Amino acid sequence: MMSVSDSDEELYNERTALVPAQNPPVPSYRPDPELSPTEDSDNKTAGLDPGVEPEEDEEEEPLKYGAKHVIMLFVPVTLCMAVVVATIKSVSFYSEKTTQQLIYTPFSEDTPDVGRRLLHSVLNTAIMISVIVVMTVLLVVLYKNRCYKFIHGWLILSSLMLLFWFSFMYLGEVFRTYNVAVDYPTIAMVIWNFGAVGMLCIHWKGPLQLQQAYLILISALMALVFIKYLPEWSTWVILGAISVYDLVAVLSPKGPLRMLVETAQERNEPIFPALIYSSAMMWTVTMANPADGQRFETGSDEEAELNGGRAEPQSRCLRPVTEEELEEERGVKLGLGDFIFYSVLVGKAAATGGDWNTTLACFVAILIGLCLTLLLLAIFRKALPALPISIAFGLIFYFSTDFLVQPFMDNLANHQFYI
Amino acid sequence: QGHCAFTMNLERLPNEEKLTLCRKYYLGGFALLPFLWFVNVVWFFKEAFIKPPFTEQTQIKSYVKRSALGLLFWVSVLTTWITIYQHFRAQWGE
Repeated sequence: MMSVSDSDEELYNERTALVPAQNPPVPSYRPDPELSPTEDSDNKTAGLDPGVEPEEDEEEEPLKYGAKHVIMLFVPVTLCMAVVVATIKSVSFYSEKTTQQLIYTPFSEDTPDVGRRLLHSVLNTAIMISVIVVMTVLLVVLYKNRCYKFIHGWLILSSLMLLFWFSFMYLGEVFRTYNVAVDYPTIAMVIWNFGAVGMLCIHWKGPLQLQQAYLILISALMALVFIKYLPEWSTWVILGAISVYDLVAVLSPKGPLRMLVETAQERNEPIFPALIYSSAMMWTVTMANPADGQRFETGSDEEAELNGGRAEPQSRCLRPVTEEELEEERGVKLGLGDFIFYSVLVGKAAATGGDWNTTLACFVAILIGLCLTLLLLAIFRKALPALPISIAFGLIFYFSTDFLVQPFMDNLANHQFYI
Repeated sequence: QGHCAFTMNLERLPNEEKLTLCRKYYLGGFALLPFLWFVNVVWFFKEAFIKPPFTEQTQIKSYVKRSALGLLFWVSVLTTWITIYQHFRAQWGE
């Protein structure tokens, strides 16, 4: 019986937020142009141009983020969804009906009675959401009590499972689909390399693009597991419920995610590593200059909210840092949880929807939602939940396309009426 | 007090740290991780060969070259093994 570990829940429940990266008010040397997100005309290039007063620019900037940041997030989200949809369409394993279910969704949807099925999916959702809430609260409690080792161990265990076990399963299914025979030693080598380098890149140090690629891949793997093992109606209800939870957890004053961020900010610490995808580069902080350190922490805390996957680990600080000025590029961070749920929505649409129309509609909906969320982020400049708008649009588009547009198009085609 | 975070941009790292990182990746590859050697080669290629010389560059160059050699070794071993396996698979009845 397949069961997803608790750590997976934990992985996504606390990162569904979108956070701005704060630009520290200190001019420093210009970063590589191709890596810098600040080439767009808006906002302050104060951090990049020496001698420019950051404060004035800060006030003048109406919008903190421009098209460039939107594109920087579009690419990974699209890639993740593309991987998921490609897998769903080609490897039948992930869209096959299965009687196995996650332990979090014990009620089966096998009944023909609509009311009963609906009831079961709502119950499944209730269980799943309460598990997530419990995990999040547990995480916040642990964090408040400074049980960092425990949290780190938890995170490492879950990424271990994702990188090794799920990818092994995935490879197995892909090979089975294409009828490729691969021997065990080769598979062992491949999985070992993939997993070990992934652990290094995510939790320690590695090239940025490789880290981003790994984060996209593990989000896709996680999404595939959900698509396979969550019953159909439960998936939609869960998606809706988790968007609501995200909204509440990030925005309300007593929300666990908000408390997490505030605690991290009070302590001037970055939030957890390996849970956030960051499109920007981070710079080393020096211990020599606490003032710089302060600025960095504030920035990274806000960023961390978004759930990006960049590691900003405390665990990395194992050696004395050199005397460099801290600088942080402006960038946007998005939580891995967001990647996962976007991909679940699009993947489920691909698996169960009519045809490509539905899938494309959901994809477009999510991107529109992401744009809007980024716009709001630029206006409000604080941590925002990234799920609600996109998922809402996605659900609307899915159901309307599936039930309205699709039959309409089919009818038109039947009658040879082209518009 | 302060916190440190690691920059993924090699540009910003001081040279000694670049060397340390390169060495660690090189040593790590011995744990049956040719992929790590591959990442080492690609990541530090610019540092080792394209950039103007700096003190640690010779050492970084040697690590990159050795990683490339190791990578080549593993690629040939694996290719040979896979070829053998696929060829004799039916006969072995596995």
